[in-house]
Amino acid sequence: MTFDPEAATRTPPKKVIFRVKRYNPETGKTWWDEYEVETYRGMTVLDALLKIKEEIDHTIVMRYSCRMGVCGSCGMIINGMPRLACQTQVAEVATEANPVITIEPLKNHPVLRDLVTDFTAFFEKHRSVKPYTIRKDKEELETGDMEYLMSPEEHKELYEYTLCIACGLCYSACPVAASDERFLGPQALTYVWRYVSDPRDEAWQERLEAVDVEGGPFSCHYAASCSAVCPKMVDPGAAIQRLRSALIKYRLGLYKKKKVAKKATRPAEQVKPKKPLPPEAQPVPGANIEAMEREPPTIPVEQLIA
Amino acid sequence: MSEGTGKVLPNRPGWLASVNPWVLRVVNNPERLAFVLHRLTGLLMALIIMAHIFVTGTPARVGWEAWAEEIAKAQGITVVTLYFFFFAGIAWYHGLNGIRLLLVEFFGTCIGKPEKPKPPYLAPSLKACQRKLLYTVYILWAILWILTGYIVFMG
Repeated sequence: MTFDPEAATRTPPKKVIFRVKRYNPETGKTWWDEYEVETYRGMTVLDALLKIKEEIDHTIVMRYSCRMGVCGSCGMIINGMPRLACQTQVAEVATEANPVITIEPLKNHPVLRDLVTDFTAFFEKHRSVKPYTIRKDKEELETGDMEYLMSPEEHKELYEYTLCIACGLCYSACPVAASDERFLGPQALTYVWRYVSDPRDEAWQERLEAVDVEGGPFSCHYAASCSAVCPKMVDPGAAIQRLRSALIKYRLGLYKKKKVAKKATRPAEQVKPKKPLPPEAQPVPGANIEAMEREPPTIPVEQLIA
Repeated sequence: MSEGTGKVLPNRPGWLASVNPWVLRVVNNPERLAFVLHRLTGLLMALIIMAHIFVTGTPARVGWEAWAEEIAKAQGITVVTLYFFFFAGIAWYHGLNGIRLLLVEFFGTCIGKPEKPKPPYLAPSLKACQRKLLYTVYILWAILWILTGYIVFMG
């Protein structure tokens, strides 16, 4: 999701109407409620919903936790687009010309009540792809005292995929998930590619074979909505295309993992000898840095008072 | 999780809703429109091909002479010419976008390289050359459709 700094610093309309889709599981009834909220600069949609809950309607239900886009709990459809409520400024989505914000629960997730959706199936799919490092030598992984070595380039290849917070926005935006329950979804498939491309993981063959099923990467049609709505710039769309391409190559016998990371050896071998500081970097002319590092200089109290 | 809370509302919009561009209004996502058009043109082509097979099987039922007469009558009819024009549009779009999808989906090309997030936090694949390819598909589609229209109506 693109960040628009201009929109984020804009002042929202004084009064904004929130149209919220409600659902009562006891009666099975769905309806829309409207609330008029007085806004302030910097108000997020989650702030507004909490204000509604505190001051207007105590029965409205939503899920939230961290309020800073880290936990991924407050995903909802705001003005037709899946977004995190805590990361969406009212000023971004409401204008003076149209001061109305429509809020719905995330699509493709069953609704429990109002804006709260059931993530059980979503997390089951996440769990099914084994989202953790697998090594052939399990003992080494369990008892290991050292990290696995990886170059900065290798780290860059998978870093953006590790930022996923499993907020479910990609799954909600996916048109394939909208019609196919078996589809693993952008989030789970991104995790598969994240571990297939991870040099520390050794189960890439098993992972590729496990997703070569109905509902795997071949079900994706690259509408790229997952990448467009991701609040963490994870780019699930690209990850699925990479996974599919790797799977085709693997089935043709052409895919080979670049390298498998080895465990780091003793720390002493990794520590590089310190380079002496250049003369211009010396804090005091003639100061002995090494001696100062060993024992910091003590300044007499009289000198400090003076 | 959902036990004891009464009925859970299934919230899966389904196939028809997935091709409805107004169900979700995702910004900066022309790929979704391309997906919707690709599905619709694919469906239309499948229907047209079935109708085409039915029509071209007519000589077996009515004989070649009657068929030739019917074809001669249909030559100047506007509806038939319009049909050719719209079929060409559907086929051009599906074919051109299909080439783009082959490149992106099967060869994993034109989707950029993974990068560390930085403002304005736009996913690499959304600014990669697949986006340029998509616009090229739309431009080529328009040009080829206009050319086909010229041949169909003027030729």
